Amino acid sequence: MRDLRTRWSFWCLLLMVLTALFGGRLFDAPPEREVAAPFSKPLWIDRDLPPTKELRLTADAPSLRVDWRFAPPSRFSIRIDSSAGESGRFVEWRKPGALAPLRLAPLKAGFEADGRDIAFKRSLGLPPFGDASASLFSEQGEYELSLSGEGDFDGSVVVKLEGGRWGVLGTDQRGRDIAALFVAGVRVSLIVGIFATLLATFLGTSLGLASGYLGGWVDSILMRIVDLLLSIPLLPVLMALAALWGKGLWQLVLILSIFSWMGTARTVRALVLTLRDAPYIEGLRGLGAPSGYILRKHLLPETFPVLLATMTLGVPGAILSEAGLSFLGLSDPRVISWGRMLHEAHSFGAFTAGAWWMLLPPGLGIALLCLVFLDLGKFLEERVDPRLRKGVRP
Amino acid sequence: MISIRNLSITYGRMTSRGRSGETEAVKNLTLSVEKGRLFALAGESGSGKSSVLMAIPGLLPEGTRVSGEILLDGRNLAALTEEELNALRWRRIALIPQGAMNSFTPVLTVGRHIEEVLDVHLGLSKSAARERTGELFGMAGLDASLASRYSHELSGGQKQRAAIALALACDPDWLLCDEPTTALDVITQKGIVDTLKSLVDRKGVGMLLVSHDLPLAASACSRLYIMKNGALVEEGAPREIVARPKNPHTAALMNALLELEREE
Amino acid sequence: MNYWGRRIAGALLVLGLVLALNFLLFRLMPGDPVASIVDPRFSPEAKEQLRRVYGLDKPLPVQFVLYVKSTLSFDFGISFLTGRPVMDELRSRVPNTAILLGTSLLLSAALGTWLGIKAALRRGSLLERCVLWSGALSFSFPSFFIQLLLLMLFASMIPIFPLRGTLSVPPPPGGAALLVDYLRHMALPVLSLVLLGFGGWAIYVRNLTVKILGEDFILMARARGLPRKNILRGHVFRTMLPPLLTIFLLSLPGIVSGAVITETVFSLHGVGRFLLEAVTGHDYPAAGAAFFLLSLLTVACNLLSDLLYGVADPRVRLERGNR
Repeated sequence: MRDLRTRWSFWCLLLMVLTALFGGRLFDAPPEREVAAPFSKPLWIDRDLPPTKELRLTADAPSLRVDWRFAPPSRFSIRIDSSAGESGRFVEWRKPGALAPLRLAPLKAGFEADGRDIAFKRSLGLPPFGDASASLFSEQGEYELSLSGEGDFDGSVVVKLEGGRWGVLGTDQRGRDIAALFVAGVRVSLIVGIFATLLATFLGTSLGLASGYLGGWVDSILMRIVDLLLSIPLLPVLMALAALWGKGLWQLVLILSIFSWMGTARTVRALVLTLRDAPYIEGLRGLGAPSGYILRKHLLPETFPVLLATMTLGVPGAILSEAGLSFLGLSDPRVISWGRMLHEAHSFGAFTAGAWWMLLPPGLGIALLCLVFLDLGKFLEERVDPRLRKGVRP
Repeated sequence: MISIRNLSITYGRMTSRGRSGETEAVKNLTLSVEKGRLFALAGESGSGKSSVLMAIPGLLPEGTRVSGEILLDGRNLAALTEEELNALRWRRIALIPQGAMNSFTPVLTVGRHIEEVLDVHLGLSKSAARERTGELFGMAGLDASLASRYSHELSGGQKQRAAIALALACDPDWLLCDEPTTALDVITQKGIVDTLKSLVDRKGVGMLLVSHDLPLAASACSRLYIMKNGALVEEGAPREIVARPKNPHTAALMNALLELEREE
Repeated sequence: MNYWGRRIAGALLVLGLVLALNFLLFRLMPGDPVASIVDPRFSPEAKEQLRRVYGLDKPLPVQFVLYVKSTLSFDFGISFLTGRPVMDELRSRVPNTAILLGTSLLLSAALGTWLGIKAALRRGSLLERCVLWSGALSFSFPSFFIQLLLLMLFASMIPIFPLRGTLSVPPPPGGAALLVDYLRHMALPVLSLVLLGFGGWAIYVRNLTVKILGEDFILMARARGLPRKNILRGHVFRTMLPPLLTIFLLSLPGIVSGAVITETVFSLHGVGRFLLEAVTGHDYPAAGAAFFLLSLLTVACNLLSDLLYGVADPRVRLERGNR
């Protein structure tokens, strides 16, 4: 297996598994949390748009300077947490080059205001339908947020500025961090892909062994079932089952495996048929070995190499099926998957907002994962069947 | 006369990544074939005899290196382009492949194969072609009704005769036969060989017959070449070779055969 | 029983089993279907009537017989969601789906076959490598992703094509303008399907062509001095026809899934989207009808491809005739 380490897909898969397991730790908020304005662009695009920022004043840091080189934020809010009640002090805002600071808000426990509140705007001396952000951030330069007066203050003042930009991959229609969603989606794709295929392989192997070894009417019936299942259009059936039996993740895994065992069964059956009459098997039978023993100790291990390859090649199919169903809206809305992300992009107007950063990450993620498994599968296949190796003529 | 001089053939292999690996199949071979006579080229499998045969009409696989000369009427066939070779193929030189080989296109009738070459090379009309096909079948010893069959419907012997009929279509001067009797029973073998011999006698074609069946080759030809490992080890009249083989290997082979005969 | 008989009997068996599956799938859902689907504001009498009309109050075996009878006469009942006969709903949608699938399949097959043959003739070339890669890529990228991308690029960012629908609302008057409008709406969907589909064809055809080119009978065709064009057309392509035809027909049921997704992405008025709406809306008659039609299509295509293969490939024909 040494050459495995030279293949790009191996490292990629490793990276994805690690991301699935530990990726969540990269973010402080859970993926469902709203972190910024909807449809915020990724930070590295359009640097004129302001990023989403938080300005925080605490007992240790009673004043803060901000070098603002962007357009005004789209939204801002202020929130004061404190144990004390009224303090008679104020939160002040000094514009660049201004002589005197503005009074933003009284330093009072539990005070909350949003830039869109009319009362708040009036307190600043703005017309009720004016743009508070625009007037507070009227120019580019250095601003200062501070507390008036003297004295102790325990608690915090948080001013949240929502620009048009956030994070590595921006936000979706609900203001959720797409990078966090993306990382959460790896988990689902890997879980569904691997488990559905594992189950299907297990099912297919057992039935293939039975069919090949026992032959007779068992074989006929099983092969008829295989033909039947293969001639049913897959997606409509999956749709119906998903809609009727519930949209849970594990139901999906089960449903997918029920419709993907046929290929494995056929391959295993073919293999068993060639091995069944091999001399050493005949010998074992002659010695009185029971069928179960022969199947378990001899025939089954023979199938492993082929199974590994077939399984790896089958994972992309499961991933794509799950993605398709999620895209159609037939998956659990509480479960974050890449397909689901694309569903929301489609249904909630990513186009009209031009939010291509909602589309690309999940789609490319699915494609990448599929390519990884296809490459690994090809690698395993070549190892099993030397004829397929590069440069050797069959 | 076809004169082969210092022919060497080295095989490479073409894959989707280009050429790789080499095998030297024929080493510096010199032999010739005369019109109106049946010459045989015998040897074990892998001796290179089929390669020699295929080299003449330029049918070696892509990536094969050929050096030396194959002279026909003064022209070196080994140096001709595909187009120039195409002008000679079937009209001057025809190939009769192994009957066991899948040499007929499975989705076309055997008659259709003949009609096709008659159309492409001789420009015959459909009806004229059909008539000629019947004649050719007769010459090859087949019933004309078999022309509407597909190759998989014919027996081994019938397929071989159909291949002969096809080879004769454009009245070539030279016939190259590659193992014409392999995989056939002895009686059919004799029939085929008799047909081939009569073609040489009656029509005056020059024939090079390749076979691993030494007795058969020896009995049919007027000059015998024997190859081993890509090189020529014997040449001459068959009777002389049988009586006085120069090569120890041939001698051993002859002894084995003579023993069989003696026992009978 | 001879070949034809066995094949047709097999097809009928599959169809019968599909009907049974269809029936069970929808009737065995937990809960009272009528209650959970129909508007709760309906009067108890109306609900009762629906129960009777759909035979939901009769024992299961009787329901099955009724179901089979009505399905085979293409009477699919009335849609729960729209109240109109399902057949009418389908009638307006089937042509769109047929055109979408038919056109894209033909174009992918044609493009893929042409590229595959070219790639096989030029082994080791850049073209061949691209063909081999395009297959893997077109399989790995989810179809709806490519379609969403295309939509975003050419309908939103650079508005060449419309964003949704089969026709503009309201549709333009006059035959020519209507046709152009229709084509404009169908262009992106068809383009996306062809883009997604040609890769697989190209790889298959390339592999098949490489195999055929390596066969003895092609060498012999060359030996007979036949010009390259004749060999490609009369021998290579002719030998490829039976499997190509089969794959063509067999891929038809497969792209049915493509129809569901494509019609959803582009909001087309077709059977696929109809099926999705029926399934999510628990509209039994509609879903059952769509299901049945799709299964019928699948079985018919399998049967047709079997029969046509027998006609195209004489080796199979013989097998049948002599038994």
